[in-house]
Amino acid sequence: MPHKPITRAALLVYGILTLLVLYLPIAAIAFASFSKARYLSFPIERYTSQWYGKALESSTVSDLIVTSFKVAFAVMLVSVVAGFFGALAFARYRWRFRGVFQKFVLLPIFFPQAVLGLALLMWFNAIGVTPTWQTAIAAHLVWIAPIATLVIAIRAYGFDPALEEAARDMGAGYWQILREITLPLLWPGVVSAGLFAFLLSWGNFPLSLFTTGADLTLPEWLYAKMVSGYSPLVPSVGSMTLALSLILLLASAACIRLTGRRRRRANGGEG
Amino acid sequence: MASQTVLRLEGVTKRFGSFTALDSITLDIADGEFLTIVGPSGSGKTTMIRLLAGMDAPSSGEIYLSGNRITHLPANKRPTCMVFQSLALFPHRTVGQNIEFPLKIRGLDRAARRARAMELLQLLRLPAGYYGKGVMQCSGGERQRVALARALAFDPEILFFDEPLSALDYRLRKTLEKELRALHRQTGKTFVYITHSLEEAMAMSDRIAIMRSGRIVQTGTAAEIYNTPKDRFVAEFMGEVNLFPVEGTGGGHFKGLAEPLQAGTATLALDAAARATLMVRPEFVRFLAPGEMADCSLEGELHNEFALGSRVQYEVGLPGGRALTVEKLAEARFDGNYGDHVTLGFDLAHSHLIREA
Repeated sequence: MPHKPITRAALLVYGILTLLVLYLPIAAIAFASFSKARYLSFPIERYTSQWYGKALESSTVSDLIVTSFKVAFAVMLVSVVAGFFGALAFARYRWRFRGVFQKFVLLPIFFPQAVLGLALLMWFNAIGVTPTWQTAIAAHLVWIAPIATLVIAIRAYGFDPALEEAARDMGAGYWQILREITLPLLWPGVVSAGLFAFLLSWGNFPLSLFTTGADLTLPEWLYAKMVSGYSPLVPSVGSMTLALSLILLLASAACIRLTGRRRRRANGGEG
Repeated sequence: MASQTVLRLEGVTKRFGSFTALDSITLDIADGEFLTIVGPSGSGKTTMIRLLAGMDAPSSGEIYLSGNRITHLPANKRPTCMVFQSLALFPHRTVGQNIEFPLKIRGLDRAARRARAMELLQLLRLPAGYYGKGVMQCSGGERQRVALARALAFDPEILFFDEPLSALDYRLRKTLEKELRALHRQTGKTFVYITHSLEEAMAMSDRIAIMRSGRIVQTGTAAEIYNTPKDRFVAEFMGEVNLFPVEGTGGGHFKGLAEPLQAGTATLALDAAARATLMVRPEFVRFLAPGEMADCSLEGELHNEFALGSRVQYEVGLPGGRALTVEKLAEARFDGNYGDHVTLGFDLAHSHLIREA
């Protein structure tokens, strides 16, 4: 049924407003990164790409990227593995304390991150661990692994337990079932969870602020530079951070589409 | 039984907490037979098939396969295979990949797997082109056949079926029942089928086991169970039935306890003062013309008539307030009006005496 003209107009206005509110600030940062001025100001008078060149040459910036990447990558790996098995416990198996597990495992998602970061810092001090980028991995995991678990669990809910039983009934052992049935069926959830984990860690500020010690991640550096000693590299580094997130998003979307297509084309009998 | 026992259950009990799902089941399943286990939901039939397939272990009792104890052997080590209620086809795989799954697990090479899959497609009357089709693109009936083909690819000694036809519409179910029966003859394998549908059981099986509250109440051929049920539950479960409580009056004579039964000279094997239930199926009750005789007769009033296609069913009110069901073939329809006074009769040769403890 076609909508009335007034409804169509309202939807259009709503859509444009939403996009503006969501993306205008981000676009502003991208514009600012090309400004020749040393300080953030609008309108931009002269454009240049020199800050990108400087940022790429800067050893500080490359250190930041490496640190942030190491943390995000480790968080992604651990979150996906923990989330995969956690999701099976969450959604697939009936066990005595499942109800309790389901509630408590998701709770950290709703903790104020600053409080969580502070609490973890106090713990690291109490047990005598010096905070570095490695402790930040542990801190990020407290918040991100539950999210990865939830993302995979949603997928796991939609799958018939009889599939694993049938595979077992036809002679498959645990690892064969995992490889042939469970993993392929949960795969889209696993990819999404990995992506979430990486991006949430990559962009995380509050947890990193408390738990990286002397090391700095990209968001921390951006904040530090805004508070004191502003650098004209800030908008360009911020834009590059954002660009990497976007590239990852697009790559994983392509990855999911490709595996889907390959699966549909794989009619030959090899799984 | 003449043929050899392939699967034997001895005092198999399964408890879930304080609930006893299976209560000391002892059952022999003969090699090559088509046995259907029928029971209402909650009777323990699903628990039973899961124990037989090795997906659960009994709390006590033993299970033997060809004489070897397999009570605690897990499903992947048993030479048996189950067709699940949901069919459990792998949605991320093609028809061919589904059928080949057990062969792949067994380590067969690709060419051998493909050859066997093609044979099975043909056996189950699926087009060869379905080999590369996605399982989710198949219709309900096609999926049933794929699930069957996959189970047969495993080449099990016994095939278990957990009501796989229950989700299908009536006509498709009827077709597949016939195909399953034919497949059983063709393959010569032992089929153990569970269902809540008696009609399905009677249409397909060599032998039926009736379950109730975790126990097997009766086993036998469809005719045996239909004609000589062991108790009222089985009698009522096996379709429409008329049950008359009776008491012996000595010398094999008897009287009706709920309504007056005019008994002729025929007698029952019932002691004086002993109570039992006399069962008559609706098709063996006749409308008596004046002067016509039967072993047993009673008076009533015609209440209702139901056309069932090939048959007609009548509901006759009895003096005690109960109703009696009579069934005739449509061509032998009784010509009466509602409210008519009728005389009904049946012969004891067509009745069955149920004695319950």
